[in-house]
Amino acid sequence: MAANDNVLMARFGQYIDATDVQAYCKQEGYEGLKHVVSLAEPADFLDELDTAMLRGRGGAGYPLGKKWRHLFYSENDPKYIVCNADEGEPGTFKDKALLEYDPLAVIEGMTIAGYMFGSPQGYIYIRGEYRNLHRRFTQALEHARQANFLGENILGVAGFNYDIKIISGAGAYVCGENSALLNSIEGKTGRPRVKPPHLADVGLYQKPTLVNNVESYADVPVIARMGGQAFLDLGTEDGGGTKLICLSGHVKNRGLYEVKLGTPIHEILYSPNYGGGSSTGRPLKFIHFGGQSGPIGGVAELDDCAYSYDGLSAHDLTIGSGAIVVMDDSVNMVDYLTSVAEFFAHESCGKCTPCRIGSLRILETLQLFQRRDAVPGDLEVFESMLTHVTQLSACGLGQSIATSMVSGMALCPDEFEQAINWALPKRQEVSW
Amino acid sequence: MATLPVEEKIAIINHYDANPEQALNILVDLQFASADGYIDQETAQLVADYLGMTETRIYEIISFYAILKEQPQARYVLKICNSSPCHFSGERAVSTGLKQILDVNENETTADGMFMYHGIPCVGACAQAPFVKIKERVFANLTFEKLEALIVDLRAGRYPEL
Repeated sequence: MAANDNVLMARFGQYIDATDVQAYCKQEGYEGLKHVVSLAEPADFLDELDTAMLRGRGGAGYPLGKKWRHLFYSENDPKYIVCNADEGEPGTFKDKALLEYDPLAVIEGMTIAGYMFGSPQGYIYIRGEYRNLHRRFTQALEHARQANFLGENILGVAGFNYDIKIISGAGAYVCGENSALLNSIEGKTGRPRVKPPHLADVGLYQKPTLVNNVESYADVPVIARMGGQAFLDLGTEDGGGTKLICLSGHVKNRGLYEVKLGTPIHEILYSPNYGGGSSTGRPLKFIHFGGQSGPIGGVAELDDCAYSYDGLSAHDLTIGSGAIVVMDDSVNMVDYLTSVAEFFAHESCGKCTPCRIGSLRILETLQLFQRRDAVPGDLEVFESMLTHVTQLSACGLGQSIATSMVSGMALCPDEFEQAINWALPKRQEVSW
Repeated sequence: MATLPVEEKIAIINHYDANPEQALNILVDLQFASADGYIDQETAQLVADYLGMTETRIYEIISFYAILKEQPQARYVLKICNSSPCHFSGERAVSTGLKQILDVNENETTADGMFMYHGIPCVGACAQAPFVKIKERVFANLTFEKLEALIVDLRAGRYPEL
């Protein structure tokens, strides 16, 4: 898509200081908030969000309109607004770019949420690895306060009092899980909570809480400005808008791009405007979507597939965070998945047994496959192990360890079969 | 380098209103300001006192979060992303290169206390692999030659901000 069609990256690099509120306002900044404040009924904006079909950009893809409606009608107060900027899915660096090049768009989105829910306080949880962005965001918040876009009686509306605090993460992937993130804000260790209850009912400090991703918040002012239908029209029926994608791995032009949902995957991989094809001279083999917790699809199988929620869903794949990690045919699937398993074994928070022990056993089994020391029957054991960890883990981290494994095995069954020494007798006993 | 005077530590704590909600902000800032890149016991106790938390809770936090350290660190800690996108984009050349140049294994400090390297999960610089990250700075698209030059420059003190 042409750069001037961008909605999320439109302001990137357009002015010298991305925290300058006046420059932001000259480029449609705060028009979204002004529109929402001018509505006779705040609930009308919920209808716009439903029409827009914005799906959560953190990875789960849950419709934002539904989430906001749940919180809107949740009784109990105060309600808290939280932005999840704990971007930790390997292969993802889009939230970093938004925080760096357009922090006020994120602040505006969070402020619209603050107005809608009558919230006194917003929080943005920025991962510790993005320490340099803390300073920039602090400055953007300060400039917004000076211009009375944060603070008391915002935009002259009596009683519209709202501010935002920054909380630092400190290197725990599991804090990207929303309930773990709220525990972390409360000054506890960032381990997930048992759900239900839903965070929209019992969230931060046991109060109703909205947790959305950075990119989702940045999309909110866009919807307020252009209207739900126009936003929907940017994407497909099943998911409106554009998507920030992060290309990495073995493509020529690695980096951040904004695409309309529905753009062909072939174009994303091979067009000189995006990936530009293989960087290694070898054919591209598979794509890992949405970070380590996402599924793997074959490049050949996806030749006609569109990059959209429904397009990928037809192949049992998901968009997730927007990471697109592309690997060439030199990468063996067993090796690749071993690397994924190392990540999960490292990042499991240790709270629940299936994930703590399971992530380690999965890693050990994959290492066994790598050494080609496995015996007939081990693949079946491995598959049951994946099922157990998925079904029994308490949070999204453990539940998604198997996503890449199952899809990767389905794509390259021969590479797993080669890991087995078929001359040996079949494993008889169950190993647990 | 001298350790941080207690008044400066208290200033950092008070900058965040001594609020338990800000425990991570406070600990990360204190660690970055420290000479040896870790939270010593005295500092942990100070934070506990000011935030009205027990020292055990502070250590629970320090041991849970990977960025926070309980032990003194080398002068320069070189972090190598070992997550899959980087791992298959030249990460191994960086870790074997550093082993050869520095003659220590991963997680070991060189005898002069200057260097240590270790793998970490994603830092969001996937399009710049292979790289190393030192504090907030990413040294991108490395080759063995660039890596050798970087170590020479670091030894010569050419990156005083790191």
